[in-house]
Amino acid sequence: MIQNVLTHIGGVEVYGVISIAIFFTCFLGVVVWAWRLKPSHVESMSALPLESGAIRPETQTAQNHE
Amino acid sequence: MNIETFKYDNKIVRAFAIATIVWGIVGMSVGLLAATQLFWPAANLDLQFTTFGRIRPLHTNAVIFAFVGNGMFAGIYYSLQRLCKARLFSDSLSWINFWGWNLIIVAAAVTLPLGLTTSKEYAELEWPIDIAIAAVWVVFCVNLFGTIFQRRERHLYVAIWFYIATAVTVAMLHIFNSLAIPAGWFKSYSIYAGVQDALVQWWYGHNAVAFFLTTPYLGLMYYYLPKAANRPVFSYRLSIVHFWGLIFIYIWAGPHHLLYTALPDWAQSLGMVFSVMLVAPSWGGMLNGLLTLRGAWDKVRQDPMLKFMVAAVTAYGMATLEGPTLAIKSVNSLSHYTDWTIGHVHTGALGWNGFLTFSVLYWLIPRLYRTNLYSVKLANYHFWIGLLGMMFYVIPMYVNGVTQGLMWKQFTAEGFMQYPNFLETVLRLVPMYVMRAIGGSLFIAGVILMAYNLYKTAKAGQFLAEEEAQAAPLTAAEDKKPQKLHRLLEARPVTFTALAFVAVVIGGLVEIVPLYLIKENVPTIASVKPYTPLELLGRDIYIREGCVGCHSQMVRPFRSETERYGEYSKAGEYIYDHPFLWGSKRTGPDLHRVGGKYPDAWHYNHMDSPSSVSPGSIMPRYPWLLTQKLDTAPLASRIAALRKTGVPYPAGFEQTAQADLQKQAAKIVANLKTGMVEAPPDREIIALIAYLQRLGTDIKTEAQPAPAKTN
Repeated sequence: MIQNVLTHIGGVEVYGVISIAIFFTCFLGVVVWAWRLKPSHVESMSALPLESGAIRPETQTAQNHE
Repeated sequence: MNIETFKYDNKIVRAFAIATIVWGIVGMSVGLLAATQLFWPAANLDLQFTTFGRIRPLHTNAVIFAFVGNGMFAGIYYSLQRLCKARLFSDSLSWINFWGWNLIIVAAAVTLPLGLTTSKEYAELEWPIDIAIAAVWVVFCVNLFGTIFQRRERHLYVAIWFYIATAVTVAMLHIFNSLAIPAGWFKSYSIYAGVQDALVQWWYGHNAVAFFLTTPYLGLMYYYLPKAANRPVFSYRLSIVHFWGLIFIYIWAGPHHLLYTALPDWAQSLGMVFSVMLVAPSWGGMLNGLLTLRGAWDKVRQDPMLKFMVAAVTAYGMATLEGPTLAIKSVNSLSHYTDWTIGHVHTGALGWNGFLTFSVLYWLIPRLYRTNLYSVKLANYHFWIGLLGMMFYVIPMYVNGVTQGLMWKQFTAEGFMQYPNFLETVLRLVPMYVMRAIGGSLFIAGVILMAYNLYKTAKAGQFLAEEEAQAAPLTAAEDKKPQKLHRLLEARPVTFTALAFVAVVIGGLVEIVPLYLIKENVPTIASVKPYTPLELLGRDIYIREGCVGCHSQMVRPFRSETERYGEYSKAGEYIYDHPFLWGSKRTGPDLHRVGGKYPDAWHYNHMDSPSSVSPGSIMPRYPWLLTQKLDTAPLASRIAALRKTGVPYPAGFEQTAQADLQKQAAKIVANLKTGMVEAPPDREIIALIAYLQRLGTDIKTEAQPAPAKTN
């Protein structure tokens, strides 16, 4: 029965190949993207959560950072 | 430079945090009640409202949407403001989000025990509540994007990408999976049937795990972990790859929930391959989290918040290695339908979501109240009790899964089933079910400790409702500066959202579209007919009681299954099943071929008291089915609704349906009499028996004249 379904969808064999191809292209693109980022930009981005803009620093009274 | 002063809204964060703790305790306690019934069925209090089938979905909905949902909103609303250096877009929307979401949870807590359910896992709520969920989710999206548009920080930090992916994808999944034709206020039928319904459901179900339990929490990890460790994330570059890799792959992997079922083989293989690939981005994320603590491990020793965080990220790593392993077809043939799956999800739920939520709460509450945590010692106790609880939960489930999976498949040297009686394989598991309940109790005890600790913390501090902050506004001039690729994307939320959406839609389309093509191609089996009126109402009772929580209706094409249950299930047999009831766990045996296997009277006695028919059975009693009158009033509207979904009930069928129903009921009553059972024809049990006796019999009528081999 399952074989019947397979033969009834035109070109279902290429589905897997197309899927992997789409994914792989996107993945490579992202890796190249990440690779080419400027170090200074990366640094400023990763520092974002550490500055909250709050006037009284949030960590002032916390027990973990005394 | 022009510096603006503004205020962060901490009140909404506190509200969601309190709701997280309250619902956490409620949801986990319901889970404990359900777990207890598996070794002590009488723990259902002999009430239909508290019986396993009805409270199991209550447990899953409560911990996923109430506990994790509120935790997610609390974590997002706190970090989003700080990362955007802007107050939330609208206070009113924030509160509509809060009250709307929590009212939905209350509605779920009322309707699910009443048996008002669609039976689709993690999407059990009926259509009016589904519409409310969509509305509240849109409110959340508006608030999220509104805040992003008002931001004073040009670039969107990686946590916000995860929030955006969550917002967009959950909306898409929820809407497509919940499409149904209503038949009254609290009853509806999925527009999809059988294989299609199964595929859409697990496309949803799998991605509910991905985009409700994983992506928002990864966002939280990327914010709170650097915060607590007081150092930037290990690799920002890795986080870019992690994000795109994860959201792109996750959406394809849904069919791994349906391996060896009647789902077409290519879809199963696609799901399996993408599931295995999913290890890569998941572990990239886990390593990124853990390596953030490089050189700061001493802090982990002292700070319970970081302990929870490290354990959570580790549990994420474990679960995301285990998931792809379970998605390999050969492993799945053993693990599927067993407790192994339950162990797997609880590594994720208790370890990843639970511990990460606790971690965020331990960090947030002292800061919201401008004070120190009341007791670090208590928090440490919580950590160890929680970890122990998790172990006591998860390990027995693995033992059970492997034990039962192997027992099902075991043949004797002579070629007979070693354990032909299903119950034998269940009884072996009972001691481990007791252990699991102990583990669950420990975990809940830890949460109660946390609640106390945080309450005392709040009491000692002073709540800072409005937190003042300063930042320079964005200027238009900077926008014009030429920028590079991902940098550009980080500054363009709309483009970013569109790309993220495209990434998830591609996977969705590849999975779903071919199924629409198959619609015409699922070989129709001429003898498969729509349910009769009585069977239809019986099926609705089956759905109401949540039978699908313990019984599958899908015989896989293994010798061990065809020997035990009969002919394996074909896609064409389910074309009138709105919704599909394949199930994903066999606490009891598969029921797809149960039709005609036992006499009507057996079913009657079995539903009244399962253990009197099968000594030692852990199935609950269903005495109310014997006394409750069958409500035939909604029959016409249900037939009409099903006709709209494509079931070929002839025109005017509603008029003859009642008479047809009486006739079939009378026949069953006569059958019962021969089995020494006196029962009135207008009770719910009669409809349920009609349905059970119909199950899987359609192809038998075809095969009888010439037992041809069907492949």
